[in-house]
Amino acid sequence: MSYRKAFIVSNALLLGVFIWAFAKDFLAPWRPYQAKYYEMAGEVLDKQAASEKDPKKAADLKAAAYKVRHSPMEIKQIIVGDLGRFDRCVTCHVGMDEYTNPTLKNGFKENPYKSHPKVDEALVKAHPFTKFGCTGCHSGQGLATSVEAAHGWVKHWEKPMLKGVHIQGSCVKCHGNFETLKGAETAAKGKKLFNQHGCQGCHMISGFGGTTSVALDDIADKPFERIAGYNFKRVRIDGKELPDEHHDSHWNIQNWILGHLTNDPAEVTPNDPFAHLNAEPIPPSGMPDFRSELSREDADAIVAYLSGQTKEEQIPYRYHVPGPPAKDPALSGLAHGRYVFQKYGCAGCHGIDAKLGRRRINAMGPGQEEYDEKMPEAQLFANMNKGAEPTLPDLMGTYKAAELITKIENGVPAADAKKWNPKGPLPMVTMPAWKGKISKHELDDLAAWLLSIAKKDDSGF
Amino acid sequence: MPTLDLETIKKEIIDSQLWRSVFRGGVWKDTPRDRAGHIIGNVWLHLHPVKARPRALEWAYTWGMGGISFALYLLLTITGVVLMFYYRPTIGLAYRDIKDLEFAVTLGMFLRNAHRWAAQAMVVSVIAHMVRVFLTGAYKKPREFNWGIGVLLLTLTLFLSFTGYLLPWDQLAIWAVTVGTNMAGATPVLGNEGPLGALVGMRINNDVRFTLLGGTMVGENTLLRFYVMHCVAVPLVVGILLILHFWRIRKDSFSAAPYQANEEKIDVWPHLVKKEYFGAAMTTVFIMVWSILQNAPLEAIANPNVTTNPSKAPWYFVGLQELLVYFDPWIAGVVMPGLIIVGLIAIPYIDTNPKGIGYYAWKERPFANTLFMLGVVMWFALIYIGYALRGPNYAWYWPWESWYMLKAAPPPTWSVFGPTGVGKFSMFLGIPLIGAASAAWLLLPKLIQKELDGLKTMGAFLGVIALFAVGGMAMGKMGPIEGAFLLFFTGASFYFGFVLPQRHIRTLDWARYLTTMVLVISTMSVLLKMCARLAFNIKYVLTIPSISMNI
Amino acid sequence: MSEATPNPAPEPAKVPAAVAPAAAPKPAVKPDMSRGDFLWAGWAMLAAFGAATAAASARFMFPNVIYEPSQKFNAGKASSYDLGVDTKWLNEQRVWIVRTPTGFYAMWARCTHLGCTPNWWGDQNRFKCPCHGSNYTLGGDVIAGPAPMPLWRAKVELAPTGDLIVDKAILENKPGKRENAPFFANYSPA
Repeated sequence: MSYRKAFIVSNALLLGVFIWAFAKDFLAPWRPYQAKYYEMAGEVLDKQAASEKDPKKAADLKAAAYKVRHSPMEIKQIIVGDLGRFDRCVTCHVGMDEYTNPTLKNGFKENPYKSHPKVDEALVKAHPFTKFGCTGCHSGQGLATSVEAAHGWVKHWEKPMLKGVHIQGSCVKCHGNFETLKGAETAAKGKKLFNQHGCQGCHMISGFGGTTSVALDDIADKPFERIAGYNFKRVRIDGKELPDEHHDSHWNIQNWILGHLTNDPAEVTPNDPFAHLNAEPIPPSGMPDFRSELSREDADAIVAYLSGQTKEEQIPYRYHVPGPPAKDPALSGLAHGRYVFQKYGCAGCHGIDAKLGRRRINAMGPGQEEYDEKMPEAQLFANMNKGAEPTLPDLMGTYKAAELITKIENGVPAADAKKWNPKGPLPMVTMPAWKGKISKHELDDLAAWLLSIAKKDDSGF
Repeated sequence: MPTLDLETIKKEIIDSQLWRSVFRGGVWKDTPRDRAGHIIGNVWLHLHPVKARPRALEWAYTWGMGGISFALYLLLTITGVVLMFYYRPTIGLAYRDIKDLEFAVTLGMFLRNAHRWAAQAMVVSVIAHMVRVFLTGAYKKPREFNWGIGVLLLTLTLFLSFTGYLLPWDQLAIWAVTVGTNMAGATPVLGNEGPLGALVGMRINNDVRFTLLGGTMVGENTLLRFYVMHCVAVPLVVGILLILHFWRIRKDSFSAAPYQANEEKIDVWPHLVKKEYFGAAMTTVFIMVWSILQNAPLEAIANPNVTTNPSKAPWYFVGLQELLVYFDPWIAGVVMPGLIIVGLIAIPYIDTNPKGIGYYAWKERPFANTLFMLGVVMWFALIYIGYALRGPNYAWYWPWESWYMLKAAPPPTWSVFGPTGVGKFSMFLGIPLIGAASAAWLLLPKLIQKELDGLKTMGAFLGVIALFAVGGMAMGKMGPIEGAFLLFFTGASFYFGFVLPQRHIRTLDWARYLTTMVLVISTMSVLLKMCARLAFNIKYVLTIPSISMNI
Repeated sequence: MSEATPNPAPEPAKVPAAVAPAAAPKPAVKPDMSRGDFLWAGWAMLAAFGAATAAASARFMFPNVIYEPSQKFNAGKASSYDLGVDTKWLNEQRVWIVRTPTGFYAMWARCTHLGCTPNWWGDQNRFKCPCHGSNYTLGGDVIAGPAPMPLWRAKVELAPTGDLIVDKAILENKPGKRENAPFFANYSPA
């Protein structure tokens, strides 16, 4: 090829490729959606004009239709300086832009054209879009203008749009009184279940609860870098593995929490109980298996509640609605003792109303076989899995109130646990020391209640 | 009615005072005088000579890499200046501005991509340019100084990439720069974590790292500093060095290609200029197509409390990062890069071989070419390991292994000479022994005056090592893989570090010989330490914790 | 074309005639398309590339999003205003909302002299600029001082929801125009 030809070809390529680049940039993904919306809105007005009998009104409607059809194509955004949000969602969801669609209502059924549901209800009225933006409640990537990126279904955007009932977590972020709110019922149910099942026995929230496992004050901000990829791979939702791609929308914190409630946590985080990869055996997650107690709806409710536990967002104080301080119900005697048991999350290990001892891997438990070194690992593990916390009513009979109180106050050190498999890991979940956390009065009632439910043996104790 | 004669109009325009004041010279007639005038009379072209040797213009000889590097530099300047219109270097705004470039600015994504990819392409082209200049021996007298400027330009190219890396303020940025600047904190004497640093009173808030960051951690000041360095200070220095580089090329008769009998020089206009234009245009097209097809990465917003896993430097620094696995930061991050730069600049002064100037001559320069290419291959091999074979927690993952696979915890490491090492007295035992071994390695090749038989020497050495390995295996201290590692790495070090120097450079004068040997032994020590770590889990060969001295 | 119209019948005969002249110039084309002409094509494409780059650069300089408060704002329910000048949007939006018996207009609180913000003095029924003493009537006309023209009125619309939507990007101050839509929103409480 002569350089004369090369000159022509290279210049043609420069021009052509630059036009390609500009065309690609010009044909941004939001453009067709906005164009279609204007077209659809124009059509509606035209139809109204056709059925309008008053010629002046019909002409006005026709003019309005023309105006809508010829609206400028632009990136629309809601600026909420207070919350540091710049939400361009209305670029495609034009029906939710109050300048293009002042009534915020239209008859379209499908996204992104339809208007925001329930705009007349108190919930939406109390949260005007100009003051809260879109992502303030829905999450997602407000700055993005392409479908996948905007909904947060991309790698490196760890707060994708909240799906279904999980959005109620956003109420929890600001409303201290969310349990009394209309529209936050699922989150309220989640909190109730959380406390009922004794989750706070191990997981602290806002300074209240045990320290056995991680505090959940900012669980909604948990970085994926801290979740090992191979553990995420083991999460099953409705029995199905999450899609393989890391950047798929399913790899989000909601599914991670849900995975702990709809799977056996010991399967999600099995660790290394037989020391295949480490010098010492490392026990699986000590979290009990809640599948028999929580339905999928219950689990989703807890996820919704926990989705509101965030510290990352800087929400100005004037967006917060404080709740009334939690008040203990006026109870006394045994009823109060039972309440104390529930309040401090004892149920997390000892079961609701102390009725069952939950799993404690590699502790002694009912139904275990005799330990035999030569058992295959699966059988060993099945037996270790039968290790359990003591069922309190069986145990309490031999205690006096003062002994019981001392035991609760001091806890039981992990090293005291008896292993079923002597070569296996130390059973993880231990009785924490409650001294200083439970008041004397509460302790007395708790001990009295525990003794009242204790099984009496034949000797009349 | 007057006729519309194009030729007359053209003549009128060219003869007008306005045109003549801008473009001197009359109608183009393509005479040799016109061609020369084009080069001499144009400020942009006059860095070229009027005529050049045809050999100097062949693609196969020049690879066009110098010109392409310059074209990329211009492309980076243009895209960089344009990007500055929509970028504000503050923590609160930088990341959002990059998102805006991606999602809201006309051609923003394209320009950012072009800037990113052109920067990466420039790193490649500058390295390729250096390799070409080395292989054709074009750094030799009288071009030693210009080679040195070229090495500085390569360093500055990497530094520009490094400073630009922080600007998007994403996780990639903050962690690459945190690691990079912490290496500065490990500088001997000047860094608070470096050997002797604490002795002279270096603390986290008064050492060289503090100056670089403008704080004790990567923060607002750092972003502003890197922005100013990236956009103003470093490009200015690069511009000055480029002028010097080009002027020297022009003064040193343009090309090192040797004169041949009956060789007729050809006009630079159009023969060279058209090649330069074609190279630049195709480079631009290449970068544009790449930018259309692939987007520059942008991770989550920078979070000083969460490190990505695995956390990796930009690919051209991944080799250094991989070295950091084997060596303490002050060696891998300060001494090694320093030695590479100084060693490269020193090459023209220690290479006294008069042959092979201006043409590819492997047979006439076996030692120089072998050792240089070994260095280049090692550099890229380290990049490959760091880039492709390191997974979560920076563990070693083979290409066929899933990153979702659990990896066994790495075995505990140990030191040869140190307080808890095999030899407990690093000061009294370690330093003398290692010193003696190094001195022997340094001096022996020159002291053995007769050329050894390469085959026999290698055979004998490998035999001894094989015996050693078999002994180790018999004692249960190593397996066959460790044995193979030992054989390969020590064999390579012995061949490149002893046999070759003994054969080729024992006749050099002492100063040049010792400089060369220091560079060669440093390179080989990288291989030996990698072997020690990968096969035998040796952390340090010698450690003296009291002065933060570990090797 | 004009020759074909009188007699469309012999069209088939025309085909070979049309082919023949087309074949004839072929050799003549070659010398015309000299190498120089092709080079001009190259330069033309380079020029087009330059022009495209320049045009794209110009487009680039117009930001697609700006981080300023919208020129448009919702001034609340029309029914919430009393007759006369309302200064409640002055601090936030620099606009007075004026309600007359027949409707609304929105006046931009910027003196047309040198851009200070005048004050509304209800006791004297006029706007007075503190900088150089310009005085304006309720309608924005200059009655004293150096101001060269009346105050600007912003576009104001009554949305179907009953809210007033003010757009400060669209302004008018000429008598005769400023009293009509879209610078005046008719409103009569039902």
